[in-house]
Amino acid sequence: MDVSDILAAHAAKQKSIQVEKEIPLEIDAGLLTVTDLNPVDTESYNADLEEYLLATARDGAQALIASLFSLPTTSSPDGPLAQLPPPTTQLPRAKPLPKPKPLTKWEKFAKAKGIQKKRKDKKVWDEEKQEWVDRWGWKGANKKEEEQWLTEVPANADVDFNPSHEARKKRKEKMAKNERQHVQNLARAEKEQGSGSSSGLQIQAQRKREIDRTLATTRTSTASMGKFDRKLEGEKKLKGVKRKFDPTEVSSSAEKSQNLEILSKLDREPLSKKSKRASDTPAAASVLNVRKAVRFASKGQGSAALARQAGGSKGKRGKR
Amino acid sequence: MLRTVKPKNARSKRALEAREAKEVEDARTAIFVKGTHTGEVVNGVMKELMALKRPNAISFSKKNSVRPFEDASSLEFYAQKNDASLFVVGQSTKKRPNGMVFVRMFDERVLDMCEVGVESWKSMNEFKTPKSTPGHKPLMHFASELFDSHPRFIQLKSLLMDFFNGEVIDSICLAGMDHVISVSLGPTPATLNTATSTLGATSTGADSGELPKVHIRAYTTRLLASGTRIPRVELTPMGPSVDLSLRRHTEADPEMMKQAMKRPKVRKQEVEKGLGKKKKNMEVDEMGDLRGRIHLAKQDLGKLQTRKMKGLKAGMDEDEDVEMSDGEADTRKHKRRKSQ
Repeated sequence: MDVSDILAAHAAKQKSIQVEKEIPLEIDAGLLTVTDLNPVDTESYNADLEEYLLATARDGAQALIASLFSLPTTSSPDGPLAQLPPPTTQLPRAKPLPKPKPLTKWEKFAKAKGIQKKRKDKKVWDEEKQEWVDRWGWKGANKKEEEQWLTEVPANADVDFNPSHEARKKRKEKMAKNERQHVQNLARAEKEQGSGSSSGLQIQAQRKREIDRTLATTRTSTASMGKFDRKLEGEKKLKGVKRKFDPTEVSSSAEKSQNLEILSKLDREPLSKKSKRASDTPAAASVLNVRKAVRFASKGQGSAALARQAGGSKGKRGKR
Repeated sequence: MLRTVKPKNARSKRALEAREAKEVEDARTAIFVKGTHTGEVVNGVMKELMALKRPNAISFSKKNSVRPFEDASSLEFYAQKNDASLFVVGQSTKKRPNGMVFVRMFDERVLDMCEVGVESWKSMNEFKTPKSTPGHKPLMHFASELFDSHPRFIQLKSLLMDFFNGEVIDSICLAGMDHVISVSLGPTPATLNTATSTLGATSTGADSGELPKVHIRAYTTRLLASGTRIPRVELTPMGPSVDLSLRRHTEADPEMMKQAMKRPKVRKQEVEKGLGKKKKNMEVDEMGDLRGRIHLAKQDLGKLQTRKMKGLKAGMDEDEDVEMSDGEADTRKHKRRKSQ
């Protein structure tokens, strides 16, 4: 029996699906990408560009598809699904990694105690209606007590005891409590994040610096630069505070220049007044912030309110 | 800005939640922006690229005065408004005719950019061949050694992979792979060939004239029966075919890139599969059971306590014969040995 032609046929089959390259192709099946690191064959590139590109692309695609078809598959209505391995090429993310959500007080407790979370069904079976009803919300089961036509009243109840009213109050209280706890959880999370994260620490440090600076200025704001102030217990001596005493005897020219400087200072107008006067000049009129001025004049009511005020009853009469 | 908006109803809440950062990200959305002047060529190429990117593409039909290399603030604004992280900005000027800028964003800020010039192109319509279905994932093919060595082409490869194929998926329908996007380079110039080891020298003197052309081609695949499990692949040109030359670019800020490259911690299920940090002497077998191996020191069998029997006591065996003849002497001897 001659099997040589069978073998040859098999070899031919294999040949058609095998790609041989000097440098083996790099395949990233996770991202469906193949990279061919072989240098470009200049001769065939110049001879027929499209043909050359098609040939290299076919080789690459063949290698990639071969690797994809050899992956483990699962069946689906649309055909077999190949299970892809995680990608080997690292691409940058579009958004930063999500931060883990801060735990609520209950979640923390449950974690410490090892309590598993149980999912409650949203619907409960109503025996009377013989159907599934929502646990809460519109026609929810939690309002059953308020709506039932007959309610047991405790023996020691007041004369004006209203059972449906009481049930409603209880339900609303529960909601309010939940909301309160929610707000508390949010506040707690904020606080923890503030102290834990680096940005929170930075903010804290900056605030501390500001307070320190304010304190230092106030301490040196007396005539004696705080020398005779009453000290608090544990208060440290302020650094960098130096009182400067000029010599009592100076040359006449220096004394003269000092005094002239004082006089010129007295003559000069304060800065704030000067800027105010400058705004009166027509050149600076454009500097006036009209929107701000209107807001100030109308006490935040807006220009319409201002116009109404100015027009007063006249405008109203006009309308009639 | 959009982040701080508090949703007023459930629908907008869902919409905002869909935009939040996720551990495994969705496909990137690309916005195609026209600059102050785009010629026929750039318009055509952008339209074709958009056809390839289809479900995740947004087209800005009006002109915008955006200059990504000078001021990227408007791009950042578009990215925020549209929840998009990729841009193709078309702009044709006298100095840089038929230019397109690929911009990639991270956290609504520009990560890196690469400008290309369109040298020649052929539309999809000129190929009278079957086209791919929009929404199908393309296969990507890159051909040149420069994609592994030259920083400009490494960046280009990463950008194009992100553009067409960035989404991480865990499975793919084998019948649905219907097109290939092939990116090949022209012959590597001699200057780059020798200087690949000294990258600093090439990047400083890297004029676009020196860099080889980039050929982008799209083909549809035909899977033919080969008699084996793996089919034989035949490609048909589908279009568009675009020839590009590289122009300006900006590298990613290393700090921002570091942030962008952060990976989520490998989940428990995947740890069991053997990914992530490998635990020593622990493995998961095919049934999914965790098996461990414990190593012990060599056991000292001399100290092993076996069943206590009079006959097994030490010193019983050696003077057995004496014991037979003279029992009393032996017991004395035995006692003495014990006291030693």
